[in-house]
Amino acid sequence: MTDVVILGVGIHPFGRFETSYEDMGSQAAAAALRDAGVEWSQIGAAFLARMYLPATSGARILRRLGSTDIPIADIEAACASGGAALRQAVLTIRSGEADLVLVLGCEKMPRGFMDPANLYSAWQIQLGMSLNPAYWAIRARRHMYEYGTTEEQIAKVAVKNHKNSVGNPNSMYQKAFSLEQILASPLVCDPMHLLEVCSPNDGAAAVVLASEKRARELGVTGKAIKIAAISHSIARYSADFRCPVDSLSATINNPGPTAVAAQQAYERAGLGPDDIDCFEVQDTDAFCEIEAYEDLGLCRRGDGGRLLDEGITEIGGAKPVNMSGGLISKGEPIGASHLGQVHEIVCQLRGAAGPRQVAKPKVGLAHVLGAGGNSAITILKT
Amino acid sequence: MSVPEQDRRGRSPVREGLLTEPLENLSAVRLLGVHCSTCGETTFGLKTICPNCGRDTVEARPLSGQGSLWSYTIVRHRPPGDYRGPEPFSPFGLGLVELPDGVRVLSPLDCPVEELAVGMPLRFEPRVWRDGEREVVGFAFAAAGGAEAP
Repeated sequence: MTDVVILGVGIHPFGRFETSYEDMGSQAAAAALRDAGVEWSQIGAAFLARMYLPATSGARILRRLGSTDIPIADIEAACASGGAALRQAVLTIRSGEADLVLVLGCEKMPRGFMDPANLYSAWQIQLGMSLNPAYWAIRARRHMYEYGTTEEQIAKVAVKNHKNSVGNPNSMYQKAFSLEQILASPLVCDPMHLLEVCSPNDGAAAVVLASEKRARELGVTGKAIKIAAISHSIARYSADFRCPVDSLSATINNPGPTAVAAQQAYERAGLGPDDIDCFEVQDTDAFCEIEAYEDLGLCRRGDGGRLLDEGITEIGGAKPVNMSGGLISKGEPIGASHLGQVHEIVCQLRGAAGPRQVAKPKVGLAHVLGAGGNSAITILKT
Repeated sequence: MSVPEQDRRGRSPVREGLLTEPLENLSAVRLLGVHCSTCGETTFGLKTICPNCGRDTVEARPLSGQGSLWSYTIVRHRPPGDYRGPEPFSPFGLGLVELPDGVRVLSPLDCPVEELAVGMPLRFEPRVWRDGEREVVGFAFAAAGGAEAP
């Protein structure tokens, strides 16, 4: 099978900007091309990950880099859109159709709660089920009930991620908060507080991929990062409680979408959780990160809170998670979020992550999870 | 619970296939599900294919009116969009109600938020609101030990 490598990454900061999506997206794409040392005219195919942008946004954005007739398609899989688009790019290279492919994630989202009509049926909206954090909170409450996970442990995720974001110029908040401040922030949906949930916002991130052969021809193998595995999975029957699910089975326990995507990615990479040096995981809400620890195999089911008590997932810990500050502090421009994670892992593996740098990582994992039980996982290695 | 004749005629479900009909006698209304004779799974809402096994061996079945709270949250802000809950808005419980049929249904919880607790017994309660000339029937669950609605 053709090996696929990342030649370059680029990012437009995540936050709230007057800048148009076309400008944000084309800036991130141009930065990735510069980082890769290749020209736009050399790219053989491109994909845009997005959820809320208009039709053919990919072509609208990328035309700004110059006239082209290559295939450009928009890809959507909710919070996993970036993973789905990256996967299409990898498959395009493996098919042999193109050996240099650009993947862009871009989003420009309205402030506040997301438009419910995009995710929910009218009856769910009328009955008050259209608040995404409610679903996260209901999962968190059950975990607390079954395993004794505490509000303090959940808040520690937010403390850690907000703290990490201070070292990330591409993050929206870049502001540290104490445990007391997190727990004193307003409740959105009990037990989730405002500083424990991410904001939908604006941003873009891009990746230039090549076949290993093309990378060698371009003479850039030295700094290239390999894609060890990529997987995208949607939740099996009753395996995930996330909008817009209206019910669950009380009799069937299927593994969740993160666990399924992780198993696929680990198998494809020939690696396990013990081999991975740093992680960027979905933290749309603070509890989601604890659940990711368990589904990714960092600890046993129900034991996620302990990793926070013991500092294991701090930048200096044994298993650093969300060195970038996570979505809690960066915000979540949905189409861009996974490629933003990939940007962070690439910086980490290059030793270029500045104050966020993990000690000599060789393998990193990026994970997203969202509506419809969409989960995508990318494993990168030096 | 006396409702004028024209209102009874103008009563419709919040969505077809979620509630048993007719809707005239609200105390007889239940959530509607389907039971699959191939895999034995019961799911919420009328459908023609079992979402577990993919077979068409499903038949409609009213779901139990009694359940218990599996997990919950308190929604502190008015949900976005065309929300039709009680006015003026106040924080309300929203939770997964486990029914003896083997299904957990997401439902608004009509009880004081400070009384919510995992495991509490609940009973089905149609929720009715006006939409212009017509009455719409949705659903909620209330504390099973609580007083009957007037």
